Amino acid sequence: MSTAAAVAAEEERALRLGRRIRTIRKGILIGLLIAGGLLMVAPFLWMISTSLKTRAEVFAVPPTLFPKVAQWHNYPDMWNALPFTNFFINSLKLASLNTIGQLISCSMAAFAFSALRFRFREPLFGLLLVTLIIPFQVVLVPNFILYRFLPHPLSSSGNWIGTQEPLWVGAFLGGAFGTFLLRQFFLAIPRELADAARVDGANPWQIYRHVYIPLSKPVLATLAIFTFMWSWNDLIDPVIYLRDIDTLTLTAGLSLFQGQYVGRWPLLMAGALVSVIPMIILFVLAQRHFVRGIALTGIKG
Amino acid sequence: MGGPATKRGRGPLGSEGRWALAFLAPTLIGLAVLSAGPILATLAISLTKWDLLTAPTFTGLDNYAALLTDDRFLKALRNTFFYTIVSVPLGLAIALGLAVALNQAFRGIAWIRTAYFLPVVTSTIAIALVWQWIYSADSGLLNQVTGFFGIPAQKWLSNPTLAMPSIIAMSIWQGLGVNIIIFLAGLQAIPSEVLDAASVDGAAAWARFRRITVPLLTPAIFFTGVLSLIGSFQVFDQVFVLAKPKPTDATITVVYFIYESGFKFFKMGYASAASWILFIIVAVFTAVYFQSQRRWVYYQ
Repeated sequence: MSTAAAVAAEEERALRLGRRIRTIRKGILIGLLIAGGLLMVAPFLWMISTSLKTRAEVFAVPPTLFPKVAQWHNYPDMWNALPFTNFFINSLKLASLNTIGQLISCSMAAFAFSALRFRFREPLFGLLLVTLIIPFQVVLVPNFILYRFLPHPLSSSGNWIGTQEPLWVGAFLGGAFGTFLLRQFFLAIPRELADAARVDGANPWQIYRHVYIPLSKPVLATLAIFTFMWSWNDLIDPVIYLRDIDTLTLTAGLSLFQGQYVGRWPLLMAGALVSVIPMIILFVLAQRHFVRGIALTGIKG
Repeated sequence: MGGPATKRGRGPLGSEGRWALAFLAPTLIGLAVLSAGPILATLAISLTKWDLLTAPTFTGLDNYAALLTDDRFLKALRNTFFYTIVSVPLGLAIALGLAVALNQAFRGIAWIRTAYFLPVVTSTIAIALVWQWIYSADSGLLNQVTGFFGIPAQKWLSNPTLAMPSIIAMSIWQGLGVNIIIFLAGLQAIPSEVLDAASVDGAAAWARFRRITVPLLTPAIFFTGVLSLIGSFQVFDQVFVLAKPKPTDATITVVYFIYESGFKFFKMGYASAASWILFIIVAVFTAVYFQSQRRWVYYQ
């Protein structure tokens, strides 16, 4: 009798000990995660802090965490040093055009690849997937040459180099990532819906427009956010195609700014911060869509 | 009209075939002039000498022969390999550990996760600017921190031995978020009964991680591996902003080399040949990686 009770008490104690160890372990883990998280945001905090310092404070040893007096004028100083208003508008315009182009062209292609039956469907989709794997630099030279010899009525050079067109027209001509992402989603839409619409006399365009698109708003939002972000952050294409300072995007403008203001860290950090804020706001507002997009292409691939 | 009639569209260019052509028209044009077509064009251009001002002249394989004896190109290749071999496994391992740690519920976890994702959405140029400042030789943050531990100040970006590792550290920091998201999604797809069963069995945490979590995550690991592998061969922005490879070429990468040859020196044939060599390397690596899949990826 008493031994059974002792065993029970012993088990109870072991259980409680185990629970306590688990709580402690979890506490340590959370502490480490928070420390790691701080390490992740530290460069951003450093960016903010530096952007509000004087040049003298920047080089102070040991470094100070906060400026003595916040130098808010660094922001207008930076903004007026180069045509940043133009850069901002250009980035916004190009990112919006890219987003619209990708949403239209990729959703149409994805619809064909998931809801229509036609010859060469699988090999064609395979070819598209291959272009997903190919490094984009491989097509950099021929694309540049294409735009170099394509006539442009409004450009001073007569061709597309130096205009912003090479930075967005391609977005209206499909894309492997977007098509793949949307196709994954479209495949999950029950065929019966399309079949029912077909029985009612709907043609494929109507099925696309009134069945698939309305049902796919979340994944379209995901694609929109990714496209906007990539276009906003793109550096190599603006650097290659743009010539006039007024046509530069924020990234290309920042790169130019960096070359002209070497060592003027407060201004450089202010510029960097201004360029990342729109993306951070977008990310915080749409975190769900980011996570879904990456997970959808990653796991169901 | 009715059901049977709709089945007719299966022919080579039946009604659905024509519709498909309409829906795919933009994509087909894009493939022809912007992606698949140009890959072949690159191959043709790589056999010529062409500065875009005068007509191209056919030079056969001269560009390839010249590249393979061009010290800068070989250095770019070595640097790119080094970058890939270090950054891909290291980035994956860190992300995997973090994802497992982040895959639990407690208050405020969303905020911590956001902190890890933040670098992903910000442009490399903004990030590289702040890291350039952190790495700065005079009173940069890193030298201040290492100085606190008695380590002498380093020229993180201009010292040839330190430059690539410095760039890799920044890239891993920036890329962690994407891999963490994919791993988290994979972890959440593991039925909790599986892990619960293992914990009832008394499987120790490490053994459970190694024998259950990791095998079930191999599809996600495989996928992040492909993404990282392809991305790492394309490294450009970091180098362009952080450490323009002058004068020692310590940080020159293949894509930087292509950019410079093509768009600064206007040697289109030379740049195209370098692009094709890069393409072949990526293709071989990807193919080998896909082949290896059978040996270590478990699909349920």
